[in-house]
Amino acid sequence: MKNNYSRLKWVALIIIGGILFFLSKTATAATATPLPLQQEISGVVQDQNGLPIPGVTVTVKNTNRGTVTNLDGEYSISAPANGTLVFSYIGFKTVEIPVENNEEISIQLEEDVSALGEVKINAGYYNITQRERTGNISRVTAEEIELQPVVSPIQALQGRMAGVEVTSGGSHPGMAPTIKIRGTNSLREEGNYPLYIIDGVPINSTPVESSSLMSSSGIDPLNNLDVSNIESIEVLKDADATAIYGSRGANGVVLITTKQGRAMGTGLETRIYTGVASVPNRLELLNTEEYLEVRRTAFENDGVEPTESNAFDLLLWDQDRYTDWQDFLFGGTSETTNANITFKGGNENTSFRLGSSYFSQGTVYPGDFDYQKVTGNLNLNHRSKNDKFILALSVNYGVDVNNLVGNVSFNSSISFLPPNAPAIFNEDGSLHWDEWGEAGLDNPFAGYFNRSTTNTNNLISNIGLSYKLLPGLEFKSSLGYTYYNSRELRKQPRRSYNPSDAIYHRSSHLTAIRDSWIIEPQLNYNKSFKDLNLNFLIGATFQENNDFSERFQGDGYASESLIGNIGAAENITNAIRENTEYRYAAIFSRIGLNWDSKYYLNFTGRRDGSSRFGPNNRFANFGAVGTAWIFSEEKFIKKIFPFLSFGKLRGSYGTTGNDQIGDYGYLDAYEATIGPGGLYPTGLANPNYSWEVNKKLEGGLELGIIKDRIRLGTSYYRNRSSNQLVGYPLPHITGFTSVQANLPATVENRGLELEFNSLNIKTESIRWESSINLTIPENELISYPDIEQSSYANTYRVGSPLNISLLYDYTGLDPETGFYSIRDVNDDGSYDYQDRLIVRDQNREYYGGINNNLSFKNFSLQFLWEFVKQDGRLTSFAAGTASNSTELILSELQGESPYQQISQSIASQTAYNRVLNTTFPIRDASYIRLKTLSLSYQFPGNLLKNTGIRNAQFFLHGQNLLTITNYDGMDPERPGFGLGNLRTITGGLEINF
Amino acid sequence: MKFKYNHIIVTLLLSVYLFSSCEDFVEVAAPENKMVRDVVFENEGTAKSAMTGIYNELFRAEFSNGQRNSITILSGFSGDNISNIYDTNIERIQFEQNEIIPDNSGNLSIWSSAYNIIYMTNSLLEGLENSGGISEQVKTQLEGEARFIRAFSYFNLVNLYSDIPLLLTTDYEENQLLSRTPMSEVYEEIINDLLLAEELLGGEFPENERTRVNSYTASALLARVYLYLEDWDNAETFSSKVIEATSNYEILNDPEEVFLANSKEAIWQISPLGGGGLSTHTNEGNLLIVDPVLSFLAGIELEEELAAIFDQEDKRLANWIGYDSGLEVFFAHKYKIRNSNDYPIEEYSMVMRLAEQYLIRAEARAHLGDLPEALQDIDVIRERAGISLISEISPEIGQQALLDIIMLERRKELFTEWGHRWFDLKRTGRAGEVLGSQNPLWEATDIWYPIPSEERMRNPNLSQNEGY
Repeated sequence: MKNNYSRLKWVALIIIGGILFFLSKTATAATATPLPLQQEISGVVQDQNGLPIPGVTVTVKNTNRGTVTNLDGEYSISAPANGTLVFSYIGFKTVEIPVENNEEISIQLEEDVSALGEVKINAGYYNITQRERTGNISRVTAEEIELQPVVSPIQALQGRMAGVEVTSGGSHPGMAPTIKIRGTNSLREEGNYPLYIIDGVPINSTPVESSSLMSSSGIDPLNNLDVSNIESIEVLKDADATAIYGSRGANGVVLITTKQGRAMGTGLETRIYTGVASVPNRLELLNTEEYLEVRRTAFENDGVEPTESNAFDLLLWDQDRYTDWQDFLFGGTSETTNANITFKGGNENTSFRLGSSYFSQGTVYPGDFDYQKVTGNLNLNHRSKNDKFILALSVNYGVDVNNLVGNVSFNSSISFLPPNAPAIFNEDGSLHWDEWGEAGLDNPFAGYFNRSTTNTNNLISNIGLSYKLLPGLEFKSSLGYTYYNSRELRKQPRRSYNPSDAIYHRSSHLTAIRDSWIIEPQLNYNKSFKDLNLNFLIGATFQENNDFSERFQGDGYASESLIGNIGAAENITNAIRENTEYRYAAIFSRIGLNWDSKYYLNFTGRRDGSSRFGPNNRFANFGAVGTAWIFSEEKFIKKIFPFLSFGKLRGSYGTTGNDQIGDYGYLDAYEATIGPGGLYPTGLANPNYSWEVNKKLEGGLELGIIKDRIRLGTSYYRNRSSNQLVGYPLPHITGFTSVQANLPATVENRGLELEFNSLNIKTESIRWESSINLTIPENELISYPDIEQSSYANTYRVGSPLNISLLYDYTGLDPETGFYSIRDVNDDGSYDYQDRLIVRDQNREYYGGINNNLSFKNFSLQFLWEFVKQDGRLTSFAAGTASNSTELILSELQGESPYQQISQSIASQTAYNRVLNTTFPIRDASYIRLKTLSLSYQFPGNLLKNTGIRNAQFFLHGQNLLTITNYDGMDPERPGFGLGNLRTITGGLEINF
Repeated sequence: MKFKYNHIIVTLLLSVYLFSSCEDFVEVAAPENKMVRDVVFENEGTAKSAMTGIYNELFRAEFSNGQRNSITILSGFSGDNISNIYDTNIERIQFEQNEIIPDNSGNLSIWSSAYNIIYMTNSLLEGLENSGGISEQVKTQLEGEARFIRAFSYFNLVNLYSDIPLLLTTDYEENQLLSRTPMSEVYEEIINDLLLAEELLGGEFPENERTRVNSYTASALLARVYLYLEDWDNAETFSSKVIEATSNYEILNDPEEVFLANSKEAIWQISPLGGGGLSTHTNEGNLLIVDPVLSFLAGIELEEELAAIFDQEDKRLANWIGYDSGLEVFFAHKYKIRNSNDYPIEEYSMVMRLAEQYLIRAEARAHLGDLPEALQDIDVIRERAGISLISEISPEIGQQALLDIIMLERRKELFTEWGHRWFDLKRTGRAGEVLGSQNPLWEATDIWYPIPSEERMRNPNLSQNEGY
């Protein structure tokens, strides 16, 4: 069978290639028609500040002849003496100038505020303007993200889009951030990734697993992209925009477009920045004196005699020693450097952009750990002379290496070590064991000399070909190929561990490879019948993904220097090799109609097939309808609201799906056991399960006031995700605990999104623009038949959001013991899930961002505030045991505090652990954060004259500079999780030749 | 124009061709790391691997792996041989106090892991039945082994929970609502499986390792089953079969050597290799041995009363029991290796051994009134332990006194092995008498563990044992 398909693949490729080759031949063979008397005209196009504008389209009116300006804003074109030149460029007013025998025509273009509505937005299979779109698509552009010193482009979206919630993965470079578009749709954590598409190629958005420190959230598969090479990121949110992605659109779609070469001539762009990052916050922990007093009080309160085994910190350890463990653990600064160089150029028909970048980032931890990446990218565009044939090639390649400590956890528990705890290292740098051992403890840095190195390679390539068959009819095809390879080696030398434990030199090896290809042929047809405009698109997708991973461990190396040299290992164990193949096919179509550019109606449909489902359920249909009314075009509206420059009402409804579940769930299969030579069944098979279906409803209103200087967009959405794919719980007697199946459970996400833009000041030298986005999301599990019988019984509640905690009822301090007490609801003498009846929503109440762009002469300032309203939990307020706590509990020494009596008893720890699951520690964890701030200075043009430099600027950039919050933990963005975002300050220079 | 229409036609035809192939396109072959069940049993090599897989998984299945939630440990707590050093783990304390709540996750682990192994045996038996590509010889061998393991799993379950659902297929739609089968019927199936296994299997050790079962393993378990059912004749017959296989098995003089890999006393052992081989110690060794340097890792002690019942000269006291002066606790030291990565593997986890067969025969013969022969059997055990022989100190001992001595020897010989003490107290009806005197919370219904509550939530047809 397999042979058949690879043959089919080649046949398809050859046929498509052949047709396109043939078409391009006919394209170039087309001859020019004889022209009337021509003359050469040249000139320069500048903006109001006198800076050249490259890439301005210059055409001769009523012909199909045209050119674009080069990097110096210069052009030359031949035109009839009585003709007219048309200068157009996005964001500027189009100008028409009659030739009138002039040989030089130089002009200044005027910025057009209202033309921003004409910005082309990438909607995936087609482009659309902001003005005409019926769906909900948010967009950020290069200017907003290119200076951010982040590894993953997703991280750069934080706070910039309504309806898009991004949480950083942690403080290690390269950890995958979490992105949620309009809330949590699936009951399964792993079923909530959006679809990532880079230059038309879908990328598996599941984080790549790792056995290093990053294992908690995994490695972001987008790490190897160069953030500064991204032209725009569009996020598709509603049914109208996502239904064309059918079964994969349920969680939204993230489209990343890389920069294109556009202008004529050649140019060189260079940029470099460097800076430092550190952990911006510390917990207020007790010092040695305070800590020891708390400990002594604990023993006094309990009436327990301190002994060497229960009070080693009081009796064995130095009473005067003090270590600030937070400083020790994460007090370092990490250095960040980024350098870019891009070569671009082109002529009328062909343009290219060839770039390369280097990025490095250290860590704040003790030791030599860092992340480095090198990327290369090429974009090539070719257009035949008669404009019929277009080729666009995009290649992104990245290599990175992540050096991290192996499997020791640099977690917050180290921060809470007693402040008089012994040293971690001996003077010679080895791990110190004696004093820890005397106290019956292991050195908390056991494992410190383990080194994990992860090398990844990532290739994302796409060729787009299109040919205009007839006026209005275009054939397009894109062919994409991706290859991702990650190799991780973890070395575990014996000196990482207590010498009395018989542990060998050991190594762990993990290789993961993902590759995929995609072919998407499509036909596009545009036709106008008087006032009716028709746009028709039909296409197909064929995609195959192959994932492969291989891991094994070696041990018994004779010396540390041999670790990892697998041939020198005595044993190779735990070898696992896995591969999955995923195939996906679809037909899709979109019909767009508009009447007089006022009334819009779109139909989108897709029929999808995915190999993830059993043979009986592989195919399903998805579709959406979207509509818009630009009411500001109506005469009566113009009359009543003359200040209204733009007004649009839009709405959409449709279905999308989610096929993000493990592959092969329908196979009754055996796998290799961990022990050698064995096979065993690893799960129950169900050949009948199918897609999750997400029904999306949306309504929106967009307004532009005072020539669009103030723009407002609001939308209300309601997404219902049903037919939830879950592990259907089974009794253990069946051999396993669940089987993959669909349940009629429904999750609803609804909310309000608001985007506001205002051009506050605009004069010759000053410009100030603000934008605000706000999201008020709500999430609810609407139905789940027999949830009590399911394994989700103690996780979810019908009628509540998915992200809840189920809490005990806190009943105050027990007057007898002085400890926290909770209510035993069912009076059965034990505290379990039956007593956890208080439901607490842990979702963000609302969130958003406020962005400001200011420019004054050659200076410009941009800053973004991110704000979030949410709850978090107070942690580390236990007092009396052999670990440090926050200064909050000092009040208990005076006897007056809401906290329990200081104690080291097991009963007090039990009470503490229980109170963590009540409303008692819940605090407001809302915050406002200065997410990014950049200041730049553009060197004046006259300074640069005769230097060969076209443009030069100096900039400073800050990330997470300031956080305003009442929350006591480390980072309110990840309440309770320990370290979060680093504060980064960078400075750099950009010079373009 | 005509020329251009051709393009459209070609394109459309191409599209139609591509679309029509969609259906087939999304069919994918099984990945390299997965093998469809039917394919596994088409081939002798892979069918044998499926059996090896079950043995491997026995080292990972919680009820059998000797770890914290194994029968050895949890039923050990239920009896009076071991206890927790600290009272921090409430779930293990519940076993020690015979106050297990139906939510106890250790209890669920025993239950679920045993049923998981049962699923594997059922899957293998079904696979063999539907297979055409395997020789009779291999089929017979594998069927015998699978039936044995299934019977072994049910034997343990039925002795922990009394009536239990009896599943002999892999069909989850049917199995998920099964109710409990009476104990006697479960026993019938166990005996049926074991008799078949004994018949199907040969007496040699496949691959010269005692980690696979043979006909004597089946006989040995049958002897135990009949002992529990108080069928003394059969208990004697089947234990004799094993004892008489002297070229296979013998009682080792040195107690230090009993728990070594492939020791001649072993009837069946589980190899730590099943855990992947990165570490090569047994879980019992790792969990029970108290290392003086790493004593903070210790959690389980032998009850002082157990150490006290040994005679001072008893070699088992010297060889199988350790004492940590830091924690001031006794600990089980049958296994000598707490932590190892070394090869060849020195110790395997013992499941069944010859000493138990002598104890079974002694008890059966005592009940049958054949006291002199019973004396001989019990003295085999006492002689190895280096303590006085009953035939010498009281050759005229009465039946009840002898039975008491046999029970005492069972306790001394088999502590921290597969819950023997707990099962013995229960089957002889002395659990209340012995444990009730030490434990004020004891109730007669405590002899059965509760059916896990999670299980009853998912299968409404499962009734609960009395007292929960």
